[in-house]
Amino acid sequence: MGGMVLVLFYGSILFFLIASGVRIAKYVSAPLHLRWELYRGSSVYELIDWSQKSPRHLGERLCGVILDVLLLREFYHRNRGFWYFLFLFHLGLYLLFVWHLWLFFTAVALPFDATGDGWLAFGHIATALSLIGGSGILVKRIVDPELKVYYPRIQYLKWFLILLILAGGFLAVVFHFDSDLPQLLRYVNTQLTFQDLEHKLHPALGPASHVFFVSFWLLYLPFSHVLRIFFRYYQHFRWDDVPNRRGSAIEQKVKEHLNRPVGWSAPHIKSGKSWWEVIGETEDL
Amino acid sequence: MMGKIKVEDVSRKGDEPLVDISSEDGMTLPCPLGQPLSIKPLTDEQATRLEHSLDGISALGIPKPKSKAEEDELVQGFLSGLRKLLSQNDNWTFWQPLVYSLESCVRCQTCSDACPIYLSSGKQEIYRPTYRGELLRRIINTYLKRGGRFSSKLRGQEIDLNWSTVARLAESSYRCTLCRRCAQWCPMGVDNALISREIRKLFSQELGIAPKELHDFGTIQHLRKGSSTGMTPLAFRDNVEFMEEEIEEVIGRRIEIPIDKEGADTLLLHNAGEFLSWPENIEAFAIIFDALGIDWTLSSDLGGYDSVNYGVWYDDVQLARIAVRHAEVAKHLKVQKIFVGECGHAHKALLVLADRLLTGDLNIPRESAIPLLEDAVCNGKIKVDPSRNDFPVTLHDPCNLVRLTGIVEPQRRILRKICPQFREMEPHGVDNYCCGGGSGFAIMSSRNFPDWKMNIAGRMKLAQILETFQGVGDPETRKYVCAPCSNCKGQIRDLLSYYGASEKYNVFYGGLAELIANAMVDLKRPFIEWEWH
Repeated sequence: MGGMVLVLFYGSILFFLIASGVRIAKYVSAPLHLRWELYRGSSVYELIDWSQKSPRHLGERLCGVILDVLLLREFYHRNRGFWYFLFLFHLGLYLLFVWHLWLFFTAVALPFDATGDGWLAFGHIATALSLIGGSGILVKRIVDPELKVYYPRIQYLKWFLILLILAGGFLAVVFHFDSDLPQLLRYVNTQLTFQDLEHKLHPALGPASHVFFVSFWLLYLPFSHVLRIFFRYYQHFRWDDVPNRRGSAIEQKVKEHLNRPVGWSAPHIKSGKSWWEVIGETEDL
Repeated sequence: MMGKIKVEDVSRKGDEPLVDISSEDGMTLPCPLGQPLSIKPLTDEQATRLEHSLDGISALGIPKPKSKAEEDELVQGFLSGLRKLLSQNDNWTFWQPLVYSLESCVRCQTCSDACPIYLSSGKQEIYRPTYRGELLRRIINTYLKRGGRFSSKLRGQEIDLNWSTVARLAESSYRCTLCRRCAQWCPMGVDNALISREIRKLFSQELGIAPKELHDFGTIQHLRKGSSTGMTPLAFRDNVEFMEEEIEEVIGRRIEIPIDKEGADTLLLHNAGEFLSWPENIEAFAIIFDALGIDWTLSSDLGGYDSVNYGVWYDDVQLARIAVRHAEVAKHLKVQKIFVGECGHAHKALLVLADRLLTGDLNIPRESAIPLLEDAVCNGKIKVDPSRNDFPVTLHDPCNLVRLTGIVEPQRRILRKICPQFREMEPHGVDNYCCGGGSGFAIMSSRNFPDWKMNIAGRMKLAQILETFQGVGDPETRKYVCAPCSNCKGQIRDLLSYYGASEKYNVFYGGLAELIANAMVDLKRPFIEWEWH
């Protein structure tokens, strides 16, 4: 059983990395698409001779992205009723992420015998926020008729799994480690530094069940919205706004695309010829 | 009364529509226009011959199959097109945003409350913005993915792909105006309007199925005859001559509207609908450009006098052909720049979309004429007297101009300067409601589609216009809806006429340039004549 958890855990990490890599590669290698932006307000097109003006700075864009991701601003503005629980859940997750970073870093790099209870409380608060938020989302998904529309059955299982992970982590810290932070850090240290293989093969129930559920989550993560939200900004398809200038890399890509063959079969399209050739064929329409 | 529609109902065979668009479902318009929904059924002959089983409406005029072989042919053709839609090679133009939108919906339904069609229909499920995407997603998952039938069954999302499914999906893609308000609302960045467009594209580019108004009489006619209106270069020249005479009557001197002036600084592209229905808009531009001393020209070349590009709404190949035609016309005339007049989707097509279709010497700078008008009015380059426009004015924001191209403020700054009684609609700017004529609906008038367009698609906009003018002056006071877009003007004209709002409330409509010309002190008599056309 312990061996299975071990294989599942490290296997799931490996799977997460490979599957995420494959998906990232799929999006990164995707062809440059036509611009199809939406605008949240005024654009460069409000300016005379706009093509000679500089596009928005990367810092400005990045700032918008960070605020969107941290505060879930769009849900706040467009769907406030749903945002409350979503925000609690995500805030808890972000704090848990910070907490785990601290946990791993402290466990291997810092003396931890004198660590105060502040970080323990931090972890508990983060977990509680996520649990409250996640439970609220699950309940809303079950009782709100609008939120049930087209919601796949399997997604309910996802929420159940997430809640199990959160609750399992909390219970492991409180009961298995007796809320003793140095004890927890020592445990993490032995895990990260591979000092106690025997313990790895025969883990205690509390931490093992937490790791077990986390492993399933890692298997799911590459296909989740977490990765997609990144591509939303990577793709720039909503707020791209980068013009195609003569001699630019974009122009080069467009030229390459226009040399691709057109594969569509309708009568007004001559299949097999390049885009550029098909565009020019307007005589026989 | 039919029960709640489920996605899998789309496969139900037979002629019976999935929904009955009944009168009690419509949102109430302000009194006294609280008219119930009133949509004529197809004639018996049409109903026998044409597919209408989505909602009793036929936008596409798809003939019913005569044999099983014809049914299978449509289904197989659809699947072939769907594979191409999901192929990076075949659909490089939109693969990224399409796949993202298909994969990323979290079903929060935030978009539903943003869709004027869904709301105006009394929240009919088939008009929900996520409906088409969900349907397409299930077809893809079930029929194109390995082990799809099993996994779809496991998830409770299986769907039967038959002729009815495909035909209803095709019709369904023409129940969305592609206003993309849903996409603006979506917290995840999912674009359900793009999914509608891509479905349209699949049917057009693979199966040759598209509304005649957009394809045969739209892009094809545009490329063959020179304009989607059917106006030939000769007719265009006649129209311009007529407009020069009209200008002379108004300002007391003749202004020559330049045509095919090689080496001019700028080529001005108007929607050809202006030449036929609203020549005063073109006349106003000519007066303003003359006053500014701009070196400009129109083109009489094939396609050069019509800025429309209906390919934007249904077909990438046609989109590219027309965009390139526009650029070639400008290149031929050796102009430095193209200005787009008051046509929303021409802005989106030429300024935004064509940006990644035009290369080398075809990539000529392309701009909206509206910032130029703003510069003229707000920086005192033409003299205006706002008291000449002292009547209630509101602004309709064309989706393609505002939300989809980001030209939001210049038109407002102009109106604030020249219209003392300017008032905003609510909501406005990038949050505006579509006029209901977007994505080609303004010109689609076959069978009972116009009824649907007036009753469902445009209902929200009419309510908005009437609310904006509610309690403004007496019924004798003339009110002006400024719509700087030809398609929007056509739709608003039809809405005001259909509901009799023009007579009851004295509501007129027109463009932006007309209001500027009306305020110009150099003009001896008012430019706006308050004539209904």
